[in-house]
Amino acid sequence: MSDLKYAYYPGCSLHASAGEYDLSTRELFKKLDIGLTEIPDWFCCGATPAHNVDELLSLSLCAKNLELADAVEGDVAVACASCFSRLKFTQHILEENPAKRKQVEQAIDAPVKLDGKVKHLLEILAKDLGLEKLAASVNKPLAGLKVACYYGCLLTRPTDVPNLDCPEAPTIMERVIEAAGAETVAWSHRLECCGANFTLSRPGVVIQLTNAILDSAKAAGADCIMVGCPLCHGNLDIRQKEIEGVYQTSYNLPVFYLTQLVGLSVGLGADKLGLDAMIVNPTPLLKEKQLL
Amino acid sequence: MDVDFVRKVEALSDTSVRRCFQCGKCSAGCPMATFMEHPPNRVVRLLQLGQWQRILAGRSIWYCASCETCSTRCPNKVHLASIMDALRKLSWDAEGPSKESYVQLANKLFLQNIRTYGRQYEMRLAAVFNVKSGQFLKDMMLGPKLFAKGKLKMFHSKNKNLAEIEKIFSRIEDMRKKGEAL
Repeated sequence: MSDLKYAYYPGCSLHASAGEYDLSTRELFKKLDIGLTEIPDWFCCGATPAHNVDELLSLSLCAKNLELADAVEGDVAVACASCFSRLKFTQHILEENPAKRKQVEQAIDAPVKLDGKVKHLLEILAKDLGLEKLAASVNKPLAGLKVACYYGCLLTRPTDVPNLDCPEAPTIMERVIEAAGAETVAWSHRLECCGANFTLSRPGVVIQLTNAILDSAKAAGADCIMVGCPLCHGNLDIRQKEIEGVYQTSYNLPVFYLTQLVGLSVGLGADKLGLDAMIVNPTPLLKEKQLL
Repeated sequence: MDVDFVRKVEALSDTSVRRCFQCGKCSAGCPMATFMEHPPNRVVRLLQLGQWQRILAGRSIWYCASCETCSTRCPNKVHLASIMDALRKLSWDAEGPSKESYVQLANKLFLQNIRTYGRQYEMRLAAVFNVKSGQFLKDMMLGPKLFAKGKLKMFHSKNKNLAEIEKIFSRIEDMRKKGEAL
């Protein structure tokens, strides 16, 4: 096994609606010989609802998770953009603000652990493993597949916190998927919000924002969209049919998790990537491009 | 003018309301401004003028998506997304004088789920939301499809350390009762 080892924080969605993201992450890491151990008994990070109305609770939940992660060897590997953002925000705020840190330590009744590194899967593939090694593992290049890389909000914003890539003009997703042999398209809405936080309370908002994203990807000539967040995926994939109905249009854009597309390029089969869990069926596209 | 309220917002958000010079860049980039009666730059202006009751009475703060675009683009480093968090918290503590109830209900159920189960169980969250908001048929068409794809789970593994999550919630409540935290 390589030296790369991570403490895996899947987050709530990966245990339910984003099961294929969890499956493809585990299979991809196994294939690339990267160690991945799930943090035992992790809690929900609180996501947007917690910090929206109770920052102390949000920071405490994340600090507790960082404490649990500390017991597992390696940096923390996070799949969900929202969990990633919350864990990074917690580290940032508790480092900058001693008063908040003291309150959080009182709430979790333990010293906060801030030295562990929190990394999104993209970062692990692009930086820790490295694009050259990734490219060397590719045995089934995604030739001819035009991918619209969708970052959404929380992978790169705000400026000082996630530190994954430039907040206004990131390229990390494009670099990763180009290493897997795909083409990428330039498009206008890759950093726009899909309205994830309103998927339960105000689906009308989500439909409007997500339609603009799908429309932009289609106009740029993309065959499919790639995401690194289960909430973006939920809106783009699960609600796509409904959006097509509302706007009387047809997109038919399969929405892949980054681990599914990279997994495909290193030779993992459909059953190991959870392709059958996708709502917009990717099989015709992948067959047309001779990738299945 | 109630300066105390504005000071609380500044303390909670760790950012200065006074630094904003109304360039409007936040509202220009805000994906949700179109749904708000006070766009983001006006929310800050109302705070500067001490007219925070007008903010709390409206729906703007509940229609912020926390996408962080405003904070990223502000030329004066006003962390507006954090100001929105602070405003929502103060509104929440005052039992939400706002007209927007669905977003608040969703938040409340989300947090209750964490306290009870330690994690988010999406299907339960959606089902309880529909019942409590009286929209029994909302997203009904999605249900069977999601079930068939294994995206809705009836049962979940349970955390062994659930007692610890309850302790965090109750310690925070205690700290607030004693005035040790906002």
